[in-house]
Order: sequence, then C-alpha cells, then structure tokens
Amino acid sequence: MKKTVFLFIVASIILTASFTMKTEGDPQKPWVVSDAAKNKKNPISSNATSIAAGKTLWNTHCKSCHGSKGLGDGSKSAQLKTEPGDFSKAIVQDQTDGALFFKISEGRKDMPSFKKKLPDEEDRWQLVNFMRTLKK
Amino acid sequence: MKNKIKNISVYLSCLILLVFISTRLNAQDPAELSTESTETKIKPVKNTFESAVLLDNQTVIVPIKGTFEMDIQHRFGTINNGAKDLFGLFAPSNIRIALSYVPIKNLLVGAGITKDRMQTDIHLKYALIKQTPTKFPVSISYFGNMVIDGRDGSYFRYNVHRFSYFNQLIIARKITEKLSVQVAPSLSWFNNIEGYVNSNGDIKNKMKNEHIAISTMIRYKLSESTALNFGYDQALTAHPTNNPHPNLCFGFEKTTSAHNFQIFAGNYYGIVPQSNNLFNQNDYMKSQYVLGFNISRLWNY
Repeated sequence: MKKTVFLFIVASIILTASFTMKTEGDPQKPWVVSDAAKNKKNPISSNATSIAAGKTLWNTHCKSCHGSKGLGDGSKSAQLKTEPGDFSKAIVQDQTDGALFFKISEGRKDMPSFKKKLPDEEDRWQLVNFMRTLKK
Repeated sequence: MKNKIKNISVYLSCLILLVFISTRLNAQDPAELSTESTETKIKPVKNTFESAVLLDNQTVIVPIKGTFEMDIQHRFGTINNGAKDLFGLFAPSNIRIALSYVPIKNLLVGAGITKDRMQTDIHLKYALIKQTPTKFPVSISYFGNMVIDGRDGSYFRYNVHRFSYFNQLIIARKITEKLSVQVAPSLSWFNNIEGYVNSNGDIKNKMKNEHIAISTMIRYKLSESTALNFGYDQALTAHPTNNPHPNLCFGFEKTTSAHNFQIFAGNYYGIVPQSNNLFNQNDYMKSQYVLGFNISRLWNY
C-alpha cells in the first residue's frame, strides 16, 4: 500500500513538473520589424478570391505548424522550439499587413523564410489577407 | 488487331472530348479571378499539378528556379499472386532514386538510377508555354532523357547498345481549380532490340527500335492538399512480336509544403518511361497491377 502511495506521489510530481516546464518556457524575444517594412502597403485587395488563394497557400505551407485556424496547434507544433503563436489574438492581428508580410518573407528560427518558396509577392500578400480572417 | 484499333479509336475519342470540354470551360478558369486585382499583369495559372512526377509519368510542371528535388519511386510486384506474396509486397520490387535541380527559370535538369536493368538516366524538362487566362489555353513542356543500361557486358555486343532515349511533349490544362488534364505523346528509341532467327534462318528484330505512345493523366483535387489521380498510357507503334500492354493507373496524392506523397496501383513496373512504354507485359485485363509509391522532397535555394 505504501509503495502504491509513493508511486502515486512521484507520478503526480512528474506530471505537475511537466506542465510547469511547458508553461514556463523562455518567452520569445520581440521580432523587430523596421518601420519601412511595417508601413509597406498591401497591394492585393482583401476579397473572396485573394482570401481563398491565401487559404490554399496556408493549408499547404502553414497549417502543419500554425493549425487550420491559426491557433498554433498544428500537427508539428509540439516539435517546435519556438511557440508558433495564436494568430486569432490581438498581439498578431494588431500588426500591420507589412509587418506580417515581412515575417512570412524573412522567417526566424523554426519559421522558414518563404521568399524563395513563394517568390511571387502576390502569394505572400494573399496569405496576409487570409490571416486577417483568423481574428476572433 | 481489331481490338487494338478499337482501343485506340476509343482512346482518341476520349481525348477529343476532353479537349472540347476544356475549351468550353475556358470561361470558368479560376486563374481569371486571381488576376482581378492585378489587371495589368497576366500571370500563368498555378499548380496545374502538385508535383513534377505523377504516377508513371512526368507532369507539365517545372518547379520554380532554385528548387532542388529528390524523388524516390517504388514499384512492388504484381498483385495477382494474392496472399502468396502479400499482393506483390514480398515480390521483387523496382526502385528509382533521382535528383533534379532548376538552375534557370523553366528548365529542370537531373539524374537518377533505377534497379530494373541497372539503368542510369539523365533528364531535362523545359516549360515551353504556360497556361494563362487569356493568351494560352494550355501549358506545354518538353521532357527528354538519355538512359544507360548498366547490366553486365554479356547483354550487349557493343557498348552503344546500352543507350536508349525518350522524348515527350507534355500538354496540360487546368480546367477548374480542382480538375487538371494532361496529354503527352512520346517517342522512345532503343539502340538495341532483342532479335530472333526465323524459320528461314534470317535474323529479325522482335520489336522496332522506335516506339510512339501517348499518355493521359487526370488530377482531381479532393482538398487543397489531397487529390485523386488517374492515368492511361497507350502504345501507338505496332511491333512484330512482344507488343506492350497499355498502362492503367490510379492513385491518391498528398502534398505538403516540401513533400509530395503518392500511392497508387498501375500496370507499369519499369519506372523509366521508355522501358515502360516498350516492355510492359502486365495486362490490366488479367489484373496484373503493381502497387507503387512516389515521394518527392523539395528544397529551395
């Protein structure tokens, strides 16, 4: 009986610690975007067509990490060293189109650069337009 | 012979019908919509297919400049032995590993090795025309290769007999966002063809050195990243003996940002296109299908 209680306590400690480690991960350093990039104007109007095109690109290139609704819960998110973030929240949605475009284009750490994979800027702007639909 | 003529006429009728349908659906081209906001610049239709290789053939697609691609293509044995060899999974299999690169816009070059006949190939593909909403109704690419048969020297009288060549004009159209169709006539050439001695003592070729064939593929997207694929390859050249059987294939495809996975069943075992076109003796009427898969990995530099 004592052994069972002891094992239960050890298991509880390990389980609690694992949650603690998950939530106490290193906060990410701010992603610095120059004013020029922030103020870059989105040349693609946000309409059903550009959002649909952005959604297609999202499902191919972004969904596996960021999740289908941008909540950061994609199938590969658990393997990432950096948090993919929650795109439905104001911390992302308050950023300018130019800032989002810059981050998609340049990448950082686990987030790859899409300048070469999606060389057509129009594709990346369409992705930005789709990301706006993830706002809650 | 009558059956063969009938097959070809049915096949050609289907092709004409497909081209007709695609022309009628011109007004529904999804790419027209995608250019609304950039009216001044007409861009080619994107993603007619999701990969450069599909089922047993090349597609019209040439990846963007700077793309490095690795392909792994695998074919198991025929399924018609049933549980005896687990539907071909335990039978001798064929595999090809290839690397290719796009050094300049619209040109893909590469090389590969194939287990069957120990073949080494070098290949290139060039996108000649790309489908646009208003100017070109189809995309057209040229694909060609040169293959060296690496088997023991006893198979060949001269080393030049090891070489074979393949030339293909690939014509494709993205009809709707989900449906794409491709037609590709091809010319294969083998420097060496097996011979036999007839009853008069004359040496004759079992087959012609050249072989003309036509291939069709249809892709229907189930979602942004998955699709069903169908293919049919028909020989057009009649040989004295050993006429090859057509290839009927169908499969499922999944695409991610950097990968393309295909699993399918078909009659072709050879992987190298000219070997398939000339030497396929698997008959779909006798359920001689092989299971196969293709995996592509892309890197962008």
